[in-house]
Amino acid sequence: MSVGDENPFGELLQDYVLECLPLAEQVADTFVELERRWRAGDPADELLGSLPGRLHTVKGNSAMMGLTPAQETAHALEDACGLLRRSSERRTDPAAALLITGGGLLVDLVRQASPELDPGPAARYVERVRQWMQGEGPPAADTQSERRRTDRRGGGGADKTDSVVRVDFRRLDALLEVLGEGLIQHSALAEAYRRLARRSGACEELDRLDQTILALEKTLKRLESTLMETRLLPIASVFGRFPRMLRDTAEAEGKRVRLLQSGGETPLDKAVLDRLSEPLLHLVTNAIVHGMEPPDARSLAGKPEEGTIRLDAAPHAGRVVIRVADDGRGLDEKAIRKKAEALGQELRDDEVVPLRSLIFLPGLSTAEQVSRLAGRGVGLDVVAGAIHALGGTIDVETEPGKGTAFTLSLPVTLAIIRSLIVEIDHERFALPMAHVAETVRAEPDAIREINHRGVAQWRGDLIHVADGGAVLGTAAADRAPRRFYVVMAAGGKRQALLVDRLVGHQDIVVKGLDPALGRPDVVSGTTILGDGRVACILDSVRILEGGRRAG
Amino acid sequence: MPHSFLVIDDSKLHHQMYRLIFSRGALAGSTVHYATNGREGYGLLAAHPELTLVLLDLNMPEMNGLEVLERRRAEGLHPHIPIVLVTTEGSAEDEARGRSAGAWEYLRKPFQPADVEHLVMRALAKAEPIA
Amino acid sequence: MPVEERQIRAPLLGFADAMEARAVADTASAPGPELHLLTFVLEREEFGVPVTQVREVIRVSDITRVPQAPAHVRGVANLRGRILAVVELRSRLGLPPADLTPRSRVVVVEVRGRVLGLLVDAVRQVTKVPEASVVPAPEEVISADVDYLRGVARWQSRLIILLDLEKALLPTE
Repeated sequence: MSVGDENPFGELLQDYVLECLPLAEQVADTFVELERRWRAGDPADELLGSLPGRLHTVKGNSAMMGLTPAQETAHALEDACGLLRRSSERRTDPAAALLITGGGLLVDLVRQASPELDPGPAARYVERVRQWMQGEGPPAADTQSERRRTDRRGGGGADKTDSVVRVDFRRLDALLEVLGEGLIQHSALAEAYRRLARRSGACEELDRLDQTILALEKTLKRLESTLMETRLLPIASVFGRFPRMLRDTAEAEGKRVRLLQSGGETPLDKAVLDRLSEPLLHLVTNAIVHGMEPPDARSLAGKPEEGTIRLDAAPHAGRVVIRVADDGRGLDEKAIRKKAEALGQELRDDEVVPLRSLIFLPGLSTAEQVSRLAGRGVGLDVVAGAIHALGGTIDVETEPGKGTAFTLSLPVTLAIIRSLIVEIDHERFALPMAHVAETVRAEPDAIREINHRGVAQWRGDLIHVADGGAVLGTAAADRAPRRFYVVMAAGGKRQALLVDRLVGHQDIVVKGLDPALGRPDVVSGTTILGDGRVACILDSVRILEGGRRAG
Repeated sequence: MPHSFLVIDDSKLHHQMYRLIFSRGALAGSTVHYATNGREGYGLLAAHPELTLVLLDLNMPEMNGLEVLERRRAEGLHPHIPIVLVTTEGSAEDEARGRSAGAWEYLRKPFQPADVEHLVMRALAKAEPIA
Repeated sequence: MPVEERQIRAPLLGFADAMEARAVADTASAPGPELHLLTFVLEREEFGVPVTQVREVIRVSDITRVPQAPAHVRGVANLRGRILAVVELRSRLGLPPADLTPRSRVVVVEVRGRVLGLLVDAVRQVTKVPEASVVPAPEEVISADVDYLRGVARWQSRLIILLDLEKALLPTE
């Protein structure tokens, strides 16, 4: 079938991408792994054996869809793998590089799934493979540019992998806006009903109205959960970029590193994923550049020359936990403390400041020399900032000589969150339920003062009780009595916040903060309440951390 | 009488393609059974003696196309049902093996809806004297 | 507009004084290119912004304060389901704060694709002034703090201070 023919299966392009892209990515990742194994002297026969079947499927499917460049690239790779299976003496670095180039090309071609692609790069690649198979010396290295040239000629039109989501996503966002309005109108309706019921007392008509409002709520809830499901994508869509990136970075740094992954199927809202990939990439790059010792240093330390980076994701208690761990040299805690002191952090001997509250400080970089790759002027404070902005937490554990692990905890979605609405100094605020442990009536003698800090007994422990007005800087002259406190908990920290009134629970649609509002520590976003007023969403995680400015 | 087909293919994309093919023209209204591997496909073959035609993919996990053909011949299961072996270009060797294992015809990817329709017509012409 | 006794010494008013001292007689109403302005009042002075940057003028409803927001941000308001950040223009221009009155308005402007609200004492009118009537801001009063002054239009005995909204609202972020 020639390019340009009307394909009878054209409407199945998205199904094609869904089926073939994971296969192409597995193939591309396997090529990276092959190179690593071959360098270590492992012929990796079984790994090589896993390739032709996948390539064959990609080839056949591409042919059916009339996507000739992808078909031919898969075919060439299939042939190359066949040759490599037969002759182990050809399993060399240049051969691996040739495969890796082809893997990247194949992923790009499948992802774009367009019958209008420039056939040039695939044709040139097929020719290079043919020459290599005939033993005409190592193929000309032209990795990056060849891949870049696969960009579609005409431009326009979205990338098909994501189009299932990306093209539809703006519509999903629009739908979410509409749903948000529905939720707001529902709360307005419920509020009006309550007032009406108070004024006129119970009657049959009001009962029916109440039933209808309840039914409407259920319907909106169903709409919400269906909509949320549509927004979810497996985290593999971000993880998938790492193997090849890791290989390039490790190569440039003269390190030997392998990547192990798990939990790629864990679902996350695409909006979270989009904003997660940059910080994750930074953590992985850091692990290679700063965490990993060079091979000789590792073998001196009695460790395998090849380092391991683990990337694990798993759902946990309604959130997603991601761990980025390396088995490198670990963080130099002494150096970090020294740097932190130089930066003006007061470190008292009697108080053990946890490492995690130092390492994410702005301006703190422990690397002695600035590396070409990681030296992009981005520190862990920026990573932490990005994670916090997502409503997440980041923590670090490290052991000298053993390695470092970063643990991120993230909300599955950013779009709609269940919140507790409270009132402090005549303003309403939303507190995400994810971090609300309990609400307690503030009895006069329940809160004591120790060292000028309010404390209260909670579940057998003493916890700090902070005044909401003081934390938010809202303290009004005509301060209302604080009748309740809300116990917040996140990342092992607990603290209570005194508030005037508990207004109720509500699913709120999260709206962003206009850049004109600066970057407040205690507020993570805004929302519109049932009465049409705007409320700020409190950043419980930052409040628990004591806020940057407070620290 | 509406036709009934069995598709044995591990590719969901191919299921979608056959669904398109069997939903139009003379074939509209046909019943189509789908299996995603040879083992499952063999079970469906055994359960449906009324099948008009079977489209069997060559490359599959858990019992590939050749294994399905060989087992069917060994067990003598519904020998009257024509089985089409679906291959990708460049598998002439496999096609020969398929024929000798009892494939009635083979269909090479990439194929067009018309190719499948043509095969079905041929299979019906062949089957009529038996029925 | 008659000049009244001023009690405050904001940089802005210093600028106005300087302009006044420099001003010669009213420019004759020579026909030529005109500026289309929306004018509003702050601290009894008249200010103008190009109408092309104004989307609408709304009455002040509930403005929710945002903890730790910059001092010149009054808060956020619900503009038909959209969150609108409202800038306290008085504080941005170094004028003393004032209470909301029934005449207070929020001028919704769009600057480089961003929509923001400006809280003003009152909105006066939409007017046209000849470009020739605009005197550029003199160097001596332009400092880093007051670079949002584009100039002053002296037109038919009125003095309209022209604001550069980009500089006033989008300081180097």
